[in-house]
Amino acid sequence: MPHIPEDELHAYLDQALSRSQCVEIERHLAHCPACQRRRDGIVALRDRTTALLATLSPARRIPPAYEVLEERARLVRARRTRWHRAGWAAAVVAATGLGLAGLEWQRTNAPSGAEVAVVSDSAVMAAPEEDSLAVDSTAVIALEDLAIGAARTEPQEQPDLPAREAERTAAPSSELAVAETPSASSPAAVSEPVGVTLSSGVLSPAMMHFAPTGAWRTLSWDAARQARGQPVPRIRGLPVMEVQVSASQADSGSPTMIVAQQLESGQVIRTIEGPATDVSRLLAAQRTDSGSPWPTISDDAGISGRDGSMTLRRGDRILAIQAPLPVDSLRAMIRRMNAMER
Amino acid sequence: MATGTGERVDDFERLYQTTYTAVVRFLYRKVWDADRAEDLAQEVFMRLFQHRPEKPRAWVFAVAANLARDEARAAIRRRKHLTLLTNDPSPGPSRIQAADELVEHDEQMEAVHQALDALTPRDREVLLLWDGGLSYPEIAAQTGLAVGAVGTTLARARKRLVEAHDRQHAQDSHAAHS
Repeated sequence: MPHIPEDELHAYLDQALSRSQCVEIERHLAHCPACQRRRDGIVALRDRTTALLATLSPARRIPPAYEVLEERARLVRARRTRWHRAGWAAAVVAATGLGLAGLEWQRTNAPSGAEVAVVSDSAVMAAPEEDSLAVDSTAVIALEDLAIGAARTEPQEQPDLPAREAERTAAPSSELAVAETPSASSPAAVSEPVGVTLSSGVLSPAMMHFAPTGAWRTLSWDAARQARGQPVPRIRGLPVMEVQVSASQADSGSPTMIVAQQLESGQVIRTIEGPATDVSRLLAAQRTDSGSPWPTISDDAGISGRDGSMTLRRGDRILAIQAPLPVDSLRAMIRRMNAMER
Repeated sequence: MATGTGERVDDFERLYQTTYTAVVRFLYRKVWDADRAEDLAQEVFMRLFQHRPEKPRAWVFAVAANLARDEARAAIRRRKHLTLLTNDPSPGPSRIQAADELVEHDEQMEAVHQALDALTPRDREVLLLWDGGLSYPEIAAQTGLAVGAVGTTLARARKRLVEAHDRQHAQDSHAAHS
């Protein structure tokens, strides 16, 4: 047999040959030192290529939960027809709305000015692209960019404001009905989250506001991280709208924290973490006040819940999430969140 | 057919878990923006869940390649629009400015980036698809090459990448010492 062609050695090492071709090559290699050397050279070349390409990798991030992305896809599909009909006019309106929404986010969450421009721009950019793959959901996908963009500002990119300034920024002027004082209960906000009004580009007050009983403070993202001293409990990949922390001092560990995040549907998902007694009391109060389907907290360790809410007992603390999602999605989310925190 | 659908869904979830990072990496090497690569990757998988194609893995990379191509086409228009929106004659800070991001990359990354740019578009595409985990037949289907030509292309691409990188490295060392 003549020497093995170079491309065949590549294909052999890439496991792209049939079994019989491999046998033939191995038979030749067994008694051909020249081809053995060439093979070793190609092995080194492959390794080198892989190593070089590996340097061209973005920083590793935790991908969004499968369920979250699937749910987003489902919502996009549901809206597609409507968007399709609205055509370019809708895309333009969305772009304008997003610009306002972006400004609102900027005001409340203090991202960089460029963030706003990027968000608005992506709607405009996506709209005129017409090809077989850039399909009819462009405008809706652009909406999702807002969520993504906002989420991005949350962990690292917020400027380091002094704590007082940060709290002032996160706290309300008109649209965000949040307070540092004990707040009245608002049942409707819990059981029926309201969607984002895109035409105005302003988040609905009812959607933003969660009114647990007792004394609560609304914190900026940075202040929340500081107060927590460990990862703030939340669903990765979704923008954080509001963080509330119990003003009453916990006996042990950090006080109860409520993190409100926005699903792409505009609805709210809330993560609640805190000492078991406090969270139980809070959940029980919510159930009474609003009639929302919070589960009864059992003393057994583990997960309990149903469509709409889910709790996970962790020693003397409880992790709970509440969102208008099926029980399976919530269970998967809470498990993932629990796994990531450890 | 409920079982079949269930299995299919599991397949997609498995594909998502195993391929998402590779797709982000693949896109990153085309758009050179980590945030944008993530956004596009999520868009790719959302479309996957909507379309549910027969050969999902190859489909995912085909859509990713198309989105990256569209992204490149739209880049100039986007910058123009950004300038309008910010009402600032200078481009200003932005996460989509590849040039600015590149400054932050270390020298090694820059050298590999340039080496990759030195390849022909076809060689580069085949190399990136292979690195993304596609098989020879999948790469052939996506690029229009014959399956037999994938090995030849990969052999050439690997050699040229390493050569271009070493050449670059030698130049940099020379410049540093002179």
